[in-house]
Amino acid sequence: MPILSLQNISKKYGPVQALSQVSFDVPPGSVFGILGPNGSGKTTLLSIVTDVLSADEGSFTLFDQQPSAKQRRNIGTLLETPNFYHYLSAYRNLQVVAGIKQRSEEDIPRVLELAGLTARQHSAFKTYSLGMKQRLAIASALLGDPDVLILDEPSNGLDPVGISEVRTLVKQLAQAGKTIIMASHLLDEVEKVCTHVAILRKGKLLLSGPVNAVITRDDFLEVGSADNKALKGVIEKHPAFLQLSVTPEGLLQVIFKEPVDPAALNNWCSQQGIWLSHLQVRRKSLETAFLELTNN
Amino acid sequence: MLQIIKIEWLKVKTYRTFWILLGLAVIIIPASNLLVQDITSRIPKQVQSLLGTSAYDFPLVWQSVANVNSYTSAIFALLLLTLVTNEFTFKTHRQNVIDGWERKDFVFSKLFWVLALSVLAFVVSVLTALFFGFFYGTSAFNMEGFYYLGYYFLQILLSLCLALLTGILVKRAGLAIVLYLGYVMIFEQLLVVTLKRFWGSVGGLLPLQTADELLPFPLIGKMLPGVQQYDNMVYLIALLGYIAVALWLIFRRLLKADL
Repeated sequence: MPILSLQNISKKYGPVQALSQVSFDVPPGSVFGILGPNGSGKTTLLSIVTDVLSADEGSFTLFDQQPSAKQRRNIGTLLETPNFYHYLSAYRNLQVVAGIKQRSEEDIPRVLELAGLTARQHSAFKTYSLGMKQRLAIASALLGDPDVLILDEPSNGLDPVGISEVRTLVKQLAQAGKTIIMASHLLDEVEKVCTHVAILRKGKLLLSGPVNAVITRDDFLEVGSADNKALKGVIEKHPAFLQLSVTPEGLLQVIFKEPVDPAALNNWCSQQGIWLSHLQVRRKSLETAFLELTNN
Repeated sequence: MLQIIKIEWLKVKTYRTFWILLGLAVIIIPASNLLVQDITSRIPKQVQSLLGTSAYDFPLVWQSVANVNSYTSAIFALLLLTLVTNEFTFKTHRQNVIDGWERKDFVFSKLFWVLALSVLAFVVSVLTALFFGFFYGTSAFNMEGFYYLGYYFLQILLSLCLALLTGILVKRAGLAIVLYLGYVMIFEQLLVVTLKRFWGSVGGLLPLQTADELLPFPLIGKMLPGVQQYDNMVYLIALLGYIAVALWLIFRRLLKADL
């Protein structure tokens, strides 16, 4: 049973087609990244799922049922910006959230502690820094320990320590079996935590599925020697050779038709009279793969 | 519904602006009546004997209080506008839905304030009328004319429904307040005067004017030159009709539009 299943969701803002026939399923227990450049429709999609916006076409199910407020109460959501009553303290704001979610207020101290806000829990929201506001929004999403979380750019406004903490938290939640739907344009974030992705560009779904299946990133070998020109000639004669590029430092990045064991390559080069001074197995960065996908 | 009221209570419990505005709205009811009572008590004795009774004697006190209070309903409307536009400013109207309210729950949460403030204004008005009737009046207690306070209740209910509609459509606090007060205090009055001059009684059928027509100041109201009036039932039906239309627009907007 998918946690969320989208069928042909479309949405227009005037002449702008924000989403066009988007369909995909979010499997239970996955950390599902919704990736895309700014303006690709990530937040619009999550807004439809949370009933903030209405889709022009298409439908979706939550927990295999028609979406309703009851299901939303079982999902912790941080959408776009932290939305709280400015004049209320963090604690009182969470009391409002607990009331709406019909959860016990006893969980409030736990989530405030998780978000590192215990010391400031009685300060008014308007006195908070951007990072603290974001932390409160995360605390609010975690209130009642929901099994599903929707996090839209969760590390927005956080400092490097905060970003790292959120990443760790997401990993811990994933390990605990939670399903996490996370929109992000930070590929590093997605690469480190997501098991599945959906990639959007200009409102269209390019691909979706498990990360490694969606974004194929072939391994390649980076090699160097005292004479890289001679090395290039030798490598090109390798039976499995496919293509080669040269880094600004003069090293050769070689892609083979089939997996080649680095030790075997080293041995092969030495047999050809070339001694390697640099040999490293590398992988195309997610960023490169993503840019290739979204630019084409 | 009880759950919604509990949550609305959490929102305002420690909100100072709310309590200041509420205190002001409540205090102004007896205060404005005290002012009017003071003015009417200065009417020369000869004129008073001509009128036969004082505006704060039973049973006229019900009508007098209802009429005077109908001028201060805007303060309750300001309070409601603050509560409603706050939700849009803080985007908490979206968060409430995201967290698990149906959109209609959000509408009910604001309609709760419309009703609660109307009931509060009504209760304070009843107490004020009783106080003035017993303290300043010279006649025995009499319930005749109590229905004027019923008209007042409907007047404030309509005022608050229009304020809620304005808040939902305009969303920004400053603009909503200016537009609402501009309409209530100037624009509708101008329209009423113009319509009455050129088309007669139909001018009395504009939204808030329907209540004004139902709530003339006793004694003096009937002496003022005016156009022919419709039967009270016509104004009453129009007033209830405006409340129904406002509610329909409020629900339609919040249930259909993007938040």
